[in-house]
Amino acid sequence: MVENVARSIEARASLIGSYRAGNSDGYDEALDDRGEIRPHWRTLLAAIDELGTDELASRKSRIDRRVRETGIAYDIFSHPKRPTQRWQLDLAPVVLSVADWQWLEAALVERAQVMDALLADLYDSAGLMRRGIVPPELVYSDPSYLRPCQGVVPMAGPLRFYAADLARDRQGRWTVIDSHTETLAGIGFAVANRVVHTHVAGDLFKRANAVRLAPFFNELQQALASHAGRENARIALLTPGPHHEDYFSHAYLARYLGFLLVEGPDLRTRGNNLYLKTLEGLKEIDLLIRCVDGRLVDALELDPSGFAGPPGLLRVNRANPRLVVNAVGSAVVQNRGLGPYLNGVAEEVLGKPLALNDAPRLWLGDDKARRHVLANLDRYVVRKAQEGTGRPGHAAVGRYAQSLTAAEREALLEEISLAGAGLVAEEAIGFSEAPSFEGGRLERRPFAVRLYVARTTSGYEVMPGGLALTVEPHAAVAQSTPEGHTRDVWVLSDDEQRPHVSLWRPMIETARVERSQRVIQSRVADDLFWLGRYNERADWVMRVLRGAYRRLVEDSGSEDGLDAARRCLEVLLVKDRTAAGSDRNRDQDLGRLGKSLIADPNGARSLVRTFENIYRCANLARDRLSFEAWQTLARFRPCDTYITALSGAEPTGALDLLEEGLASLAAFNGYMHENMTRNFGWSFLDMGRRLERAFNLSEGILALFVRSTDPEEEMPALRLILELADSFITYRSRYRLDPSLPLVLDLLLLDETNPRSLAFQLAAISRHLEGLPDGQRGGSLSEDRRLILGLLTSARLTDVEGLAAGPCRSELERAVAEHVRVLPELSNAIGRHYFNLADEVPHRTQGAAS
Amino acid sequence: MIFEVRHKTHYRYSQPVAQSQHLIHLAPRSDVRQSVRSHGMIIEPAPAMRYDGEDAFGNPVSILDIEEPHREFVLKARSTIATSTPEAVDFSRTSAWDELDGALYGEGKPCDLDVVQYRCSSRLTPATRNIRDYAAVSFAPGRPVLEAAHELTQRIFRDFRFDAAATDVSTPIADVLRTRRGVCQDFAHLALAFLRAHRVPARYMSGYILTKPPAGQPKLQGSDASHAWISVWSPESGWCDFDPTNGLVVAEEHIVLALGRDYGDVCPISGVIVGGGHHTVSVGVDVVKVGHNEAR
Repeated sequence: MVENVARSIEARASLIGSYRAGNSDGYDEALDDRGEIRPHWRTLLAAIDELGTDELASRKSRIDRRVRETGIAYDIFSHPKRPTQRWQLDLAPVVLSVADWQWLEAALVERAQVMDALLADLYDSAGLMRRGIVPPELVYSDPSYLRPCQGVVPMAGPLRFYAADLARDRQGRWTVIDSHTETLAGIGFAVANRVVHTHVAGDLFKRANAVRLAPFFNELQQALASHAGRENARIALLTPGPHHEDYFSHAYLARYLGFLLVEGPDLRTRGNNLYLKTLEGLKEIDLLIRCVDGRLVDALELDPSGFAGPPGLLRVNRANPRLVVNAVGSAVVQNRGLGPYLNGVAEEVLGKPLALNDAPRLWLGDDKARRHVLANLDRYVVRKAQEGTGRPGHAAVGRYAQSLTAAEREALLEEISLAGAGLVAEEAIGFSEAPSFEGGRLERRPFAVRLYVARTTSGYEVMPGGLALTVEPHAAVAQSTPEGHTRDVWVLSDDEQRPHVSLWRPMIETARVERSQRVIQSRVADDLFWLGRYNERADWVMRVLRGAYRRLVEDSGSEDGLDAARRCLEVLLVKDRTAAGSDRNRDQDLGRLGKSLIADPNGARSLVRTFENIYRCANLARDRLSFEAWQTLARFRPCDTYITALSGAEPTGALDLLEEGLASLAAFNGYMHENMTRNFGWSFLDMGRRLERAFNLSEGILALFVRSTDPEEEMPALRLILELADSFITYRSRYRLDPSLPLVLDLLLLDETNPRSLAFQLAAISRHLEGLPDGQRGGSLSEDRRLILGLLTSARLTDVEGLAAGPCRSELERAVAEHVRVLPELSNAIGRHYFNLADEVPHRTQGAAS
Repeated sequence: MIFEVRHKTHYRYSQPVAQSQHLIHLAPRSDVRQSVRSHGMIIEPAPAMRYDGEDAFGNPVSILDIEEPHREFVLKARSTIATSTPEAVDFSRTSAWDELDGALYGEGKPCDLDVVQYRCSSRLTPATRNIRDYAAVSFAPGRPVLEAAHELTQRIFRDFRFDAAATDVSTPIADVLRTRRGVCQDFAHLALAFLRAHRVPARYMSGYILTKPPAGQPKLQGSDASHAWISVWSPESGWCDFDPTNGLVVAEEHIVLALGRDYGDVCPISGVIVGGGHHTVSVGVDVVKVGHNEAR
């Protein structure tokens, strides 16, 4: 006991002590020149000391788990073979003092004002270029300077979003590494980090008296609503989609601020308006928050291959200049080459130079600079002037001349002399260091920090927080950490913090009464429908596997039902006939079939494919899912080890894993069932599930009771189907008999009170369809309604005794085969009726040339 | 001379088109060298919305939004234009190509952005080592800029073969330089890349040339369709047009529709459609001389 206490005191002492003993390369955020802890770090470091290493380690693992469950990641689907990039969030935040923050706040607001004025001028009279304050050839060489936006940008209202990546040099001066004016630059990552971090370190946050983010976003939300110009405006956040590395940030922010998350194909233009394609037809959009590359938003007037926005957007934008923020074309002012000229602009705009400057940089379109750099290449890092800005951690990678091969060096010299206008050269700058919690110790880690400025109704405001990224000490200029080791940024305050206002739960006075009439994009309805189908498919496949493995484990002679299980497996593997057929070794055969159904990447209904599809659909419809629901899908993520473990496991181990998997699905469905508003989105999710369940059940019955009528097999087959349909207990409590075919068929096919029966599924689908907008004119039924009416009516008219009778069971076969045939047709009919707007893909026509 | 130009474009689609939007550069711009007497367009089916304006380069532009389902799209443009022969320029008395900075960024006077912007490479006229090296022969230090430009266009005319089958609208100029074959648009792009690699302001000209040649003279390449050539700037004589496809200095027979950095800025018709399946397009151009310019 005494020894334990002594050791823990020693560990505590060494946590800060060993940090202080280490050597610093640059400016130390936490320690001053004499190695004393700076005042604004004292509360945090003292608190860390008090917690002790065990508690810190436990908190660190809670952060890790929370990050994983929240699903913060870059590149969710960018490369199928590469696992999702791991996002790491440090337990130790970066702390900024009141004085530092006041200075940064003022300096960033000035920079935002300068960027705003420069942007408006470049797209208007361009006086700054005419007078040579900004080199015209820098602007004209930038592919992000979009000429068709001339005249629109100055009418668009002020620049809405500005972000800057900052580093602090050896002398403790802040400099700007990169500016972001194109998109929201991953602000959603910063919010997600804060939410996760507060969950684990909220007590420390409060003790340090750090400033909350929610009031800032509240302001932002109001400012955007007022920019949109009408009550209950329809505001959409335009994302490039799940393949973009910032998709998480977009989806998170859209949810956080309550905006629709849309992709280019969800939108279309008509006349002078912008519309969203929804289940109920076209709905006008009042404000588009653009998180896509401006060059790609209008294939008609801009890059002909760009469909990240709807063709015709600029035409609509010209008639409604305030429709898009940031205005299309805004990226030009983030051009790195502007760095050396910004002070000239500031003199014009503010009447004084900037307090916060860009890191020393040369634009290689300037003759003198280019000649100098060509002669002194080794001192510089060369980067693209424009590319790779809007993305955290993916800034254009600098080419450090010293580390190039002879051929690369030759190519770089060539590029500088041929296309210098698109390049900048920078000298290595220093990064300050701050304590990072790693391996139970506090380590010095250099970092850069991204700070966000937004235009609110009272002018520019800086988000009191940020996204800090650990940088490679030797990556001289850029934030280049695709591995994403990040930190929260705490801004301290002398004032008492106002009561907690989370945007997740709006205060009564700011809440609008809004009852589930949130519009559903056709595409999202499609995604939800298939999410429902894949979910149910995974459930069925896992039940079949569980049934098969149970019977393998409990092998008990002729009554064991192995054949029945095998027939169900074979149906699901129908694309894979090679695995079936052999009777020689029944056990091994079943095991092999099972593995194939689990892990075959080409199996249409294999578990691995189904999981991939669940994750894909869930991700596409992500802004419609609650966080809890999303978290339960963690094991379906493409890089999760679940499938590998399951396909490698022996039957008993596999059974445990299958139970876990089924529990996850049940949890997901439970969350959706309990939390999702009963709007059209819900209808599609539930219809997908019902349709898939009806199909699987019909197919199972067809496999078990029609094609083989061996009476010896019938009892185990009846047991199996009751098990698969989760109706064993219902049957037992109702009949207290061994299963008999007519009673089982009645329970599974016709009983509309059994939530697992075919009739129940059909009735549910029918109710959903009745509630959906029809759009059908005249008296005739739409195809989907006609099909469901036919199926439901014939189920209701069925005579169960007749079905089960007869040695050939031709009645049963006819009835069930009819379902197996018509249900996919119904699925297609629903698709044609409701999702076809989503399928309208615009494309370019070929121009005629001489 | 006074010309009448009829330009008909006809798209046929294998499937119905639900929506089509078009960006049109078919109305000729007025210019020091030409004045537009009349212009009109007939569009079928009629667009739900039509926007007429001026693009960033000062060209007349129309944007059409057709909302009614259709399987054909026909656009007939008809214009009457009077052209005049530009004043003869003594190329040897223009400024040296490597001393243009002085004229463009001189102390105390505002920079002429309408010239400077055409110095930069564009998407379809990128600088490469081969491009720079091919052109370098014509750019001896201190050489008058229009002399160099003229020689370059003559070299293109000599070294390259007109071959409508060799390229399409997406062929990069690096390929054209390698195969030495192409059409007027390719040669214009090449000439622009050569000039811009040496930071000479040069712009892409889209338009027509006279279809029926005067008696006894050969018909020029590029007639019966839209044509393309270039315009090069010098401090002494402003913009001067060269036609690399025909190895000419432009006189009265060229009619300008629009100008820009490259074809991408001035494409006569470009469109985005929803639906439509496959499509074919046919273009017919007639340029007829209808009279001489009255005395001004």
